[in-house]
Amino acid sequence: MDKMSGYAFVAAGLSTALAMVCYALYALSGLRAARVQTAGVPTTSGALGFVSGPRTAAIGRYATMLGWLATVALLAGLVFRAIATGHGPFANMYEFSLAFAFGTMLSYMYFERKYHQRILALVALPVALAMMWYASTIPSTIEPLVPALQNNLLLTVHVAVAIVAYGSFSIAFGAALLYLLQPEGGRWGLPKPQVLDEIGYRAVVVGYPFLTLTIILGAVWANTAWGTYWSWDPKETASLVTWLMYGAYLHARVVRGWRGSRAAWLLILGFAAVLFTYFGNLFFGGLHSYSGLNTMN
Amino acid sequence: MTHEVRTPPLRPTAVAPGQTAASAGLMDYVDAGLEGLWHLLTSMRVAMVLMMVLALLSLAGSLIIQITADQAGDSAMRAEFLSMIQPRYGGWTNVMVAGPGAVTLIAGIAMLAYGLHRFSKRGELTWELGTGVAVAALGVLVLATDTLGLFNVFNSLLFRVLVAGLVISLVACTAHRIPGVWRTATKPRVDVGASFFEHAPQHESVVVHATADETLATVRTIFRNRHYRILTQSDGTVHLYADRFRFVAFASLAGHISLVLILAGAIIGTTFGYRNPSFVIAEGSTIPTGTESGLAMKLVTFTDTWYTTVADVPSDYASKVELYKDGALVAAQTIRVNDPLTYNGATYYQKAYGQAVVMTVKDAQGNVVYSQGLPLDQTAGDGSGRDAGTIQIPGASDVLYVFGTTGTSDTTIQPGQVRAVLVSAANNSTIADQVINQGKAQTMGNYTVTFDRESQYTLLSINRDPGQILIWLGALLLFGGFTLIFLLPQRRVWARISSRGATSVLSVASLGRRDAALGTDFDDLVTDIRAALQTPAQG
Ligand code: HEM
Repeated sequence: MDKMSGYAFVAAGLSTALAMVCYALYALSGLRAARVQTAGVPTTSGALGFVSGPRTAAIGRYATMLGWLATVALLAGLVFRAIATGHGPFANMYEFSLAFAFGTMLSYMYFERKYHQRILALVALPVALAMMWYASTIPSTIEPLVPALQNNLLLTVHVAVAIVAYGSFSIAFGAALLYLLQPEGGRWGLPKPQVLDEIGYRAVVVGYPFLTLTIILGAVWANTAWGTYWSWDPKETASLVTWLMYGAYLHARVVRGWRGSRAAWLLILGFAAVLFTYFGNLFFGGLHSYSGLNTMN
Repeated sequence: MTHEVRTPPLRPTAVAPGQTAASAGLMDYVDAGLEGLWHLLTSMRVAMVLMMVLALLSLAGSLIIQITADQAGDSAMRAEFLSMIQPRYGGWTNVMVAGPGAVTLIAGIAMLAYGLHRFSKRGELTWELGTGVAVAALGVLVLATDTLGLFNVFNSLLFRVLVAGLVISLVACTAHRIPGVWRTATKPRVDVGASFFEHAPQHESVVVHATADETLATVRTIFRNRHYRILTQSDGTVHLYADRFRFVAFASLAGHISLVLILAGAIIGTTFGYRNPSFVIAEGSTIPTGTESGLAMKLVTFTDTWYTTVADVPSDYASKVELYKDGALVAAQTIRVNDPLTYNGATYYQKAYGQAVVMTVKDAQGNVVYSQGLPLDQTAGDGSGRDAGTIQIPGASDVLYVFGTTGTSDTTIQPGQVRAVLVSAANNSTIADQVINQGKAQTMGNYTVTFDRESQYTLLSINRDPGQILIWLGALLLFGGFTLIFLLPQRRVWARISSRGATSVLSVASLGRRDAALGTDFDDLVTDIRAALQTPAQG
């Protein structure tokens, strides 16, 4: 089973990389089509303004298929791994990174279906690829669970929920990055600024309740394992920082003047906080360091 | 207007330009000041700034070593902590201590300067003036009182003031929104005036070849099929108001108020709760728990189990305990990590464990003065890292210190031995200092000391937190409230039908606010209405 999960992850990595190539080609030909269109030659215009020709559309479909393949392969890998280890993907950074990659791919595919903006893949897929690459550089050995991590159900849900949140925030980050990168007037065949703004917001709308739930479940778990629901442990604190930042972003949406690039910057900051929360335990030791209870040695 | 809750707060200007005339009395200034304060507290921008500043401070707190509560409470330990971190952060240490206060002061001065600038140029008294003074004063106060700065973020004055500010703002905001939300839910304005249909973010107008009543019937059906609540009113012109998920506004209020509940829970917990983070008890011993009078805990056995497949990975820690109330057994459980014991509101958690030694001490008459497991839960002060325990001989001023071995490589105290040091507390002199073997009675001063055998102790954390109920209730409201807002976005649509004979003009408008999805919904609605009324689409 562990071997199978390894193969599945390799397959996922390869399909993501291939999908990335297709998405890049798609974007490039979209760019060309956009130029052609500005030159006055009629082309078909896709939903929400992305310009595409017939050839482009074919590449786009292949890209999407490969993207789904990668998502399914990641899921299969995680399921095999869970069968092999007997618990959810929370025992070490290897498992958690692949889960993060899965969350990002899944959110991306969901948003692609909903908004038809394949260009987002140019940011989202590299995030997923980076996570898979990172996982491949760290030990994948199955470690037995220390006592604190043996609360299986609570932890599995805690992590599953966190992954959905992180995945959505990756998409919000992608939309914000494209928003900030696009030249004045939104050329380059990029989606309209309002569309990017909208996707960023939608992604946070999905991610925010999940992040809230992650923190609450974390508090419940801490309360059963350590007797305190909150101890200002660095990882906890970092997730609170993330939560506050996206909270500020959501309010920015209600205040009209904060739309656009200021809101996009908040999304970039928010994602920096996500990455910090995620990788934080590499440079701060706390209760959350995955060795389990540090007082129990 | 029914939709005033939606409008972003205007930039609060305490006093309008014309009102700054010298004739303005003191009360006018007080009024204006209070009004300005209210604007400030209900301003979303202020809330956002507070959230971001709290996020940044917390970030610092997660990156920088934080002093523990014990250390912070004791001036000698504080000094020791600061001297310990000095080499690590060098010259930055002082910057980190004074930083938060200094930045606050500078921010206050900057705001004040800006306010003064505005005042001198245009004679406006703006919120920056008052806020600047307050922020600068806070900066001075923090600089004067806070000696730990970024090393004690979460207990610092600045952090508390900011949290308090956010909570006050939350309460003010919620209070501010309640009347509007209530009115919207119970008696929303149906007639919003003609100009609304020209200026609303989303609006459409359709000419229909039907009477007003026929048009209303059709529109009504469409709204009803979409599960809208419909209210109408007529004064020749037909006014219609329709909404969906109106209760979600209450979910938003509940979601916001939940944060106040959580904070209240935390304050109640720390103020009225009982907490002992290290309750140490050796196997075989019975010790008062400290949670209530007459309650004692006995540790029957402690077992640590390790994986056989991998080195040094524990699989289980289990403390088999019994609770006695006035000598009668009231509870018995094996406490594990993730499986605490709860009795009478107090919860006992497995936290750590360690080595204990069973010692027997007899006095000169041969009476047993001590015979039980002694937890070696202290660390020897000589830097050797040895575990140590202390026996205060009952009825005497003598103290017996016991040191354990550090393992097989220890040449001074070998496995199967302890070192015992008898000190007379009366004149602080060492009476005897010996390494003793297990099972052999040893004379030390006036006592006979026996190291019977090795055993273990467990370290539990005891917690009675009356605030917890509020915490979990708040968490539930928080999650439920915010999820509902996102899952069921509120929709509010106004329509107006005016007729001239056989033709009517139908205007529809909505307040699209945060997202285009609302706009899309509105477009769908209008498309449906057009189809039903069979009017040609117009751009
Ligand atoms: C830590 C504190 C806070 C958190 C986590 C928080 C969270 C949220 C969330 C998740 C939303 C929904 C956003 C959306 O619908 O897009 C929201 C809306 C809102 N918040 Fe807050 N909030 C906080 C503090 C405040 C404060 C202090 C104010 C007052 C200045 C405020 C005023 C509002 C308003 C007016 C709305 C729009 C309500 C609506 O659309 O029905 N919030 N908040």
